[in-house]
Parts: sequence; C-alpha cells; structure tokens
Amino acid sequence: MVPSLFDLFLVIPGLFRVNLPTALVLLLSIIVGLLMVVVFRYTSDQKAIRIAKDHLKAHLLAVRLFQDQLRVVLSSYGRILRATGRYLRLAFKPLLFVVLPLTFLIVQLDRYLGSMPLQAGEPFLVKVRTTHGDILDEASLQLTPGLAATAPAVHVQGDNEVVWRLAAEKDGNYNVNISVSGQTFSKQVVVSSGLARVSAVRLRGAWWERMFISGEPGLPENGMVQAIEVGYPSRNLAFAGFEWNWIWLFFVLSLLAGFLFKSLLRIEI
Amino acid sequence: MKWYQTHPSRKRGMLYACLAVFALILLFPMRSEAYAGPGAGFAVLSSFWTLFVAFLYSAYAFISWPFRHLFRLLRHRKAYGNAQIKRAVILGFDGMDPELANRFMGEGKLPNLAKLRGHGTFRKLRTTFPAISPVAWSTFMTGVNPGKHNIYDFLARDLSNYLPLLSSVEIRAPKRSFRIGKYTIPLGKPQMKGMRHGTPFWHWLGKAGIFCSVIRVPVTFPPEKFPGVLLSGMCVPDLKGSQGTFCLCTTRGHTDAFREGGVRVPIDRDGSVCRSYIPGPEDPLAGGSGSELRVSFEIRPDPGKNRARITVDSESFIVQVGEYSEWISVKFKAGLGFNARGMCRFYLKEVSPEVEVYVTPVNIDPGKPDLPISHPVTYSIYLAKLFGPYATLGLAEDTWALNEKVLDDQAFLTQCYANHEDRERMFFDALEKTRQGLCACVFDTTDRVQHMFWRYLEEDHPAARDVPRDQRPNVIEDLYCRMDALVGRVMKQIDDETLLLVISDHGFKSFARGVNLNAWLHQNGYLMLNQEKKESGDWFEDVDWSRTRAYTMGLNGLYLNLIGRERYGIVQPNGEADALKEELRHKLDGLADPASGRVSISGVFDCDSMYAGPYVDNAPDLIVGYGEGFRASWDSVMGKVTSQIFEDNLKAWSGDHCIDPRLVPGVLFSNRKIADEKPAIVDVAPTILKLFGLGLPAHLDGKPWSVTAGNGVAVQTEVQPES
Repeated sequence: MVPSLFDLFLVIPGLFRVNLPTALVLLLSIIVGLLMVVVFRYTSDQKAIRIAKDHLKAHLLAVRLFQDQLRVVLSSYGRILRATGRYLRLAFKPLLFVVLPLTFLIVQLDRYLGSMPLQAGEPFLVKVRTTHGDILDEASLQLTPGLAATAPAVHVQGDNEVVWRLAAEKDGNYNVNISVSGQTFSKQVVVSSGLARVSAVRLRGAWWERMFISGEPGLPENGMVQAIEVGYPSRNLAFAGFEWNWIWLFFVLSLLAGFLFKSLLRIEI
Repeated sequence: MKWYQTHPSRKRGMLYACLAVFALILLFPMRSEAYAGPGAGFAVLSSFWTLFVAFLYSAYAFISWPFRHLFRLLRHRKAYGNAQIKRAVILGFDGMDPELANRFMGEGKLPNLAKLRGHGTFRKLRTTFPAISPVAWSTFMTGVNPGKHNIYDFLARDLSNYLPLLSSVEIRAPKRSFRIGKYTIPLGKPQMKGMRHGTPFWHWLGKAGIFCSVIRVPVTFPPEKFPGVLLSGMCVPDLKGSQGTFCLCTTRGHTDAFREGGVRVPIDRDGSVCRSYIPGPEDPLAGGSGSELRVSFEIRPDPGKNRARITVDSESFIVQVGEYSEWISVKFKAGLGFNARGMCRFYLKEVSPEVEVYVTPVNIDPGKPDLPISHPVTYSIYLAKLFGPYATLGLAEDTWALNEKVLDDQAFLTQCYANHEDRERMFFDALEKTRQGLCACVFDTTDRVQHMFWRYLEEDHPAARDVPRDQRPNVIEDLYCRMDALVGRVMKQIDDETLLLVISDHGFKSFARGVNLNAWLHQNGYLMLNQEKKESGDWFEDVDWSRTRAYTMGLNGLYLNLIGRERYGIVQPNGEADALKEELRHKLDGLADPASGRVSISGVFDCDSMYAGPYVDNAPDLIVGYGEGFRASWDSVMGKVTSQIFEDNLKAWSGDHCIDPRLVPGVLFSNRKIADEKPAIVDVAPTILKLFGLGLPAHLDGKPWSVTAGNGVAVQTEVQPES
C-alpha cells in the first residue's frame, strides 16, 4: 500500500523525535516566514526602507566615530530617533498587510495548538460567570451521557461564579448544558488523545470582541450568563531541549525562517 | 477589565474594530493569544533593536563622556591651549592653475575666490620637483622634501629588472598558503605596505588631542592609524589591483587591445539576449597562475526604446543609451567560499545595430570593503550608509576611457561630476562634524577635467584641430565656476576663528607635443637596442642594458644605469656618473623642437642637489623639466624607444603639469593675510602645526608662514624644534 502524503507527514516527525504539533509549528513557521517576507517585499518601498536603515546605521556609527565630540554625538542621537521613526512609518503599511491575515491565522491555530483536549477520566473544571451574584443558586448543570460530576458545585459569590468539577468516560465531543433562571446555555467539551480543535471559553459580545479568545458562537446578549469556561490544560511543545508555548516557538522559528528567506531572496525588511 | 467581560460599546464600525485589533495586538498582548509573528518580529528586531542598541551605546557614551573628556583633558591639556585658530579647513583643488584663476577672477566669474583674494590672500604656491600630484601631496602632508617621504612619481622602478612598480603602495599575496588538490588556500589577508614615509601633520595634531577629518588626500592608502578619521584618495587600487581598468563589452569584432587602462570583452548574442562578463581580480585559489575571476551579465537590448535591461547576478536594471546605471554590486566567486566584492557602473553606449556597454573599473565597495580604504575602517562604511555607494578608486575619473574614445566628452564629464558631488557631500559632512580641529579634503575633479579638456582652451591644439572654435565647450571655465561656488558654500559655514586655505598642488599647461626622451637617449648613444633595432617594445623590451648608460621611465625622472644599483649597471658611481649627468644636462637643457624651434626642455635638475633624506637613493638622477606645451610622450613614459623624438599629442589628455615645476605653481587662497611672498606647498604642514600651537618637528623642511590672525595680530613664526 502506497502511503499518502498525510501519512508521511505523520511519520516524518517521529523520525526526528518531534511530535505532531511541534512538526506542524515547524512547518507553518517556515511557510509563514517565507510568505511574510514575500508579502513584505511587494507591499513595501524597498529602496526607501534600505535608505532608512542605512541612515540608522550611519548615525550609530557616527556616535562611535565622533565619540569625543558631544555635540556630534547628541545630534546623532536625534538623527537615530528620526531615522527610526521614518523606518517605522515605512514598515507600517507592509506590516498591516502582514499582520492582519496572520492574526486571523494564528487565532485559528491557537484553537488547535494553544490548549490540549481533555483526556478520558481526567477531571476538569467548568466555570460559569453570571450577570448577578444572587442567581448563582439557580444555576444547574445538565450533563450528556459520558460526562459525570466528580464534586458538588462551588459558588464564588464575589466573582459571580459557579464551578463544577467533571470527568469524561471516553473520547468524544460533549456538551455541558447550564440552566439559569429557566434559560439554558451550552458549552462544548472536547475529550481526545489527538490533535483537536478546542475552545476554552464561550462568551457574550460581538465577534471581533471574542475572536481572540473564543471559538464558539456568542452567548445571548440578554441572557443571565456572561461566560462559560472549560479548564483545558495548556499545551507545551518540546523543542531544542526547551518547553515552549507554541506561539513563542512559532515566533522564533518564523522569524528565523523570515531572516533566512530575506537573505536568500534579497528582500529588505 | 477581565478577559471574559464584554465591551461596553458594541456600536462601533468595522474599521474601528480592525484598528483596535491591530492596536490591541501591538499594545496589549494577552497571553498566548497575542500576535507575535515575523511581521511584528521584523519590526521589533529591525527598529526597536537598533534603538535598543543605540540607547545602550548612547547611555554608555553619555555616562562615560565626562570621564573620557577628563582623561582627554589631562592627556591633551595643551590641545588648543596655544592655538591661534579653532579650526583649519583645507580645500585641495588638485591642479587649480593660478593664471587661469586670475583670468577668471578678472572676468568676474569667481566671486568667492576674488573675495578671498581681496580680504585675505592669493598667491602662487611653489610646488615640488617634479610637479606630480603624489609627490606634491606627500610633501603637503609631511612637510618634507621627497628625499624624506620617498615618492618621486606615480611609478618607481624595480632595480632587478627595470620594470615599473607603483610608487605609493606594495600589495602582495598573503604570506602563507596551503594546497588542497587544485586549490591554493591563502591564509590571511593580502599584505599591503605603504611606500610613502614621513608623518602626515594630522598625526601630530591627533596626538595633541586635535580632531582631524581628512578626505581623499592622495597617497594615504593604505590608511594609517591616527586619532581622527580619514578616507584614502589617489592611489587606492581597483579590485584588480590596478589604478583603474575599465571594460568595453562589445559585439564589434575588434582585436586591437587598448594601449592602457582598459580591456575589450566580446558580447555573445543569443537571439535577443546578449551575454558578456566583467574581468575581475586574479583567482586567489589558483596559486598565482594568473587566471582571472569573472562576473557574467546579461543584456536584453530594446532598440525601440533605445535602452537595455542588464542583469548581473540577481540584480536587474534598465539603462538608457547614453546613461549610467547606479553603482551595482558584483561578487567574483573563486570557490570554497572565497570571493571578492566590488561595485561598478554600466554605461550603455549603443543597442542597435551593435551592442556596446562600458563598465567602470570595479571599485572597492566602501560599504563592505575587501581592503581597508579608511581609518577607522568603519568611516568608509559610515559614508556609504549615509550617502550611498561612492567611487573609491584613487583615479576614479576614467581618463583612459576618454583617451581611447570609449567614452565621449559628455559621458566623461557626467562621471566626473557625479564623483565630485559625492565628495562634496562627504566634505560638508566632515565640516559639520569637525567644529574644532582640521578638516581637509582634496577634490580631484579640477585635475582630471583640465587634463582632458585643455585642448579646447587653445587655438591650435593637435587634439582639437577638427573641432571648430565656436563648437568648443567652456568646460574648464565651468569647472572653475563650480569650484568657486563650493568655496562660497564653505565660506558661509565658517566663522572668524577658522582658517580657510584653498590650495592646489600644481598648476596646468598645454600638452601639445610629446618628447620621447628614450628615443633621444637612443639617438645620442646613451641607450642601446639589441641587434641594432630602431625601436623597442614597452618597458625596455630589446634594450641592451650592457651598453646602456641612461634611460627614462615615468614622467620626469631620468636614471643612470649605475653599477651596484641597477642590475646590469655600467656607469661608475661618483666621478663617471657626475660627468654623465653634467653632460646630459648640458645637452638636454634647451633642447629645441625642430618642428617649431620652441624649447622643449627648459631645465634639467640634479637630484643630488635637490633632495636630502634617507630615501634619496630611490630618487631619479635627474629631473627633466619640459617646456610649456611639451611633456614626456606616451611611449616614453612606458619605457618605449621610438624612431621619432617629437610627436603631436592627439589624445584627449591634452593638458599637463609634469613639466618644469617653475612653470606650474599651484594656488594659495586664504581668508587670512599671509605675508610670505613665495609660499611653497612644503610650508603648509608646519604652518598648520604652528597655528594650532604645536612645536615643529626638527626634520621638517617647510617653514611656517606669517599668518595674520583674526584680531589682526601677526602669528609668531619662530620655529621651535622639538626634541
């Protein structure tokens, strides 16, 4: 049987003792690094950026070359600031082209890589935040088959919160339903041993207000519940002898890839 | 506000939301949700990192400044203590002629120089023997005669084989190397040894704590360490190690080699694409086999638009016919990671029916110099970052290309003034940075333009006989006006405590007739050829040294073939040599040109009586001073014996100064009164040292001038020798 590309993708990381999420970050970093410098190249004034950077370097050198002449040194500092401002102004437009699409990409990736799904049998917390503290007693939990509460609810009056501790019997996508004053709100719970899309919290509000944090539809605006959170464990990636938050690893690797491709493609950034 | 609370306002537009998102990303990072990709990362590293480094360095410089200043005060507590000036600004206009300056001032064309003449000083400045730029500028900076600084010409001779050497610098391959298969791997950098001796006066100033900015003074390569900044000028080689080798890439099938200064390279056509190459330096891995490195490039002519697209490596650009490209970086790859970096400009001559591209000599890239061309090495980088790439070659104006008619007048002038504008920018930056101390800059343009356009000044110059009088451009007049404007801008930027000197190393005269002194020596029995030949090849090919008593090489030097000095010497030193010198002087002095009866040699000078110092043994035996309108012929300079002694000079190089030095003094303008009636270029160094209140080293040959200070008090001129 001929292995598919996807099979290869799953096998190759094992050869290098890199797990799938790390390999995914590695691959995405290289692709994104390349794409970003290419986008930067075509959306920026390359010549102006090169001149601005050269001026920055020149004024830095001036500080060193004329170090005993205070007047020259001070004026060089001023010119360094001006040149930096000019560079940032030139970098702003291409940065917009780069940052906005990448922001949405990263938000989506964070659903997969930011937190790990729950494991079967592993206890986890479900927190519900209500609009008023006096309705906490009215909040109740309705569990779907496969989920079980492992402790009674805890009310945190000061924060308007009710907290339950649950556990799942086996892998699967579950819903927990919370009833408050006759209204029912649901929240997805993902139990899996693989890479899965998870959303730790469900919120009220417009999409752009929720987009960084929640991957689920908004809660009703006139409802009694402000937020429902599931305590997924955060994911750390092992790479180069360190434990990394995926986004820092992505930052470092994509930056390295960007600098590599910038040199190879002679792109001024 | 906690992460799960809703925003109070939901009635904001989409645009505002996007901007808010962006601002949030940049300003309020939240846990791992904060964006931190390469785009932002680049901005951080490229600007904030620079700022961070700048801040750290600034903080260090700022905090340590009082200590360093105190240290400097203690170490140089006398700096400026006895100075009568705060700053000296020296503008060197190579070859500015006092007679022309006087004429144009008289015509009201040089108002700023006329102002200096009126309120300060205008004198002829006595030059050196011989009146050649490397000699004169070496004397300018060291304050000594050539016997003490060792520069007598552009060329020196190798006594073992009578072949020429560059007089100012010796560049050799690295001392050690090892072989791997076909490769010879050099260990270390090429060895460079400056042949000019003596101490430039800015070294004395620097030691005393007086800051100096020195730009493009000739014979400052390789740059020497001193407390100040310096950019080397004349004598900086190109990447091939020559003083400038241009390249003409052409589809025309010429086989003639250029006489000097350039190479012809074929262009291969392949449909609409043409391919050629730029010859580069010798392959450092070839173990001295002489194989050269090359950079290939592609030309796509567009005859319809009278232009071409040229691609070198991955860089592609469009050039119109009759225009220059920007400076283009080129990398000559030798293998095993060894490469040489340089830069050149392309000038598109023609795209149809033939294709011709002129490529300037490959200059050392000032932003990434393979050889140091400044002190500190970062100074050339600083200038390149601030103003962009600039010509670094010592003789950057390609006079050979105009001589060989590869460039026309306009293309040459465009090149000259592009270089000149770069140097003006550098100079004014140095002037701004040097509020106290010395700021000196030499502009070559005056020399090159006069060399190449003197033909239009004269009624009947052989090189311009076919150009009607009314079609001759006023190039030299325009040149002097530009220099005057430069002086005007400098005068606006200096105060009463600044001394301004505008000097030239020599003047200019016509070069209409060439004198082949080797031919004269041959015809008069002093130089013998093998097998009774009538002519020799270049560099004394076919000369029978066993019967030769005298020869000439370079522009003004005449040498005896001395026993114990030259390898095949036959003339006994002292008695016989002295008699031979006297005989030659007697015969050559007043030598008349049979075509006109004019005196072609107005003086022959015995070097024994002119020079004194540790390097007099390297001097010629006689200096030949040609008369006005004459100079050593092109063949004579290259050690060639021809059948004719006199010939018309038909080259664009039509003006010269390598004649009797008494005929070509330089200029001296100043914003102060200088009392001396006969100032000389050798006096500049002691004068500047004296004005800054420094004692004069005892070995100096020059004498400080009597300069009237700003308050009207004459500066004391007694020389106080230093122990």
